[in-house]
Amino acid sequence: MKKLNVLVACGAGIATSTVVMKKVEDLFAENNIDANLIQIKIAEAAGKQDDADMLISTTVLPTEFKIPAIKAMAFLTGIGVDKLKEEIVSKAREIQAQ
Amino acid sequence: MSENTVEVSDYLRDQLILLHTSFKSSKELFTAVNAKAEADGFVTDQFLPKIIKREATFPTGLQLEKRGVAIPHTDADTIKKEFVAVIVNDDPVDFSRMDDPEQQVGAKLVFVLGLNQPHAQLDMLQALMAIIQDDALIAQIESADSKGTVHQLLSK
Repeated sequence: MKKLNVLVACGAGIATSTVVMKKVEDLFAENNIDANLIQIKIAEAAGKQDDADMLISTTVLPTEFKIPAIKAMAFLTGIGVDKLKEEIVSKAREIQAQ
Repeated sequence: MSENTVEVSDYLRDQLILLHTSFKSSKELFTAVNAKAEADGFVTDQFLPKIIKREATFPTGLQLEKRGVAIPHTDADTIKKEFVAVIVNDDPVDFSRMDDPEQQVGAKLVFVLGLNQPHAQLDMLQALMAIIQDDALIAQIESADSKGTVHQLLSK
């Protein structure tokens, strides 16, 4: 199974992405998805997308990305978190299957 | 919670708990927090311009089920000593939403995060997010009438 490279981004790369990193790490572990998580500032995402499979972000996306991008605000507010988890897992499995 | 858990209250500084304020905008709020933080050596002179700019580009308002809160923060290099400032404004202050800057959320409760060690405050941030998701607790903080009460509520 392919090991995924996943970018986890927020505006400053310091606060909310730290929380989301942990949530995504746990989520992938629970679902046996093998992934490298890379914490970045959203401004760095465009330059790093060529080496990544997926972007998970807590900010508005400043541009269109070539890789699938998922907004992960629900990890912060708790609203819609189950749906978000499903979305991330199914997207990850889809990429693995490619 | 386990004994070793870092609590949000560990990051509170009395001079950076502002209750019953009447700020009309996020900029007024930032200016007041900065004045206190800079006077006591928590931030550099770049903190205020950078946090205003960042809030404009990457806003931090969070729409919860019953209310809004905001968690403004900015670059680590503007923070000399770490803190979490707590501001309870009498009326909601408009913040743009983190997930959709076109939309505003009114926040009576604002946590200004002064963090300078990227990736290092996971425990505190997780505790903070748990607090934000606890509507009853947020309501209690919004009606806290002393800094001691805020400390107590954020130690849970």
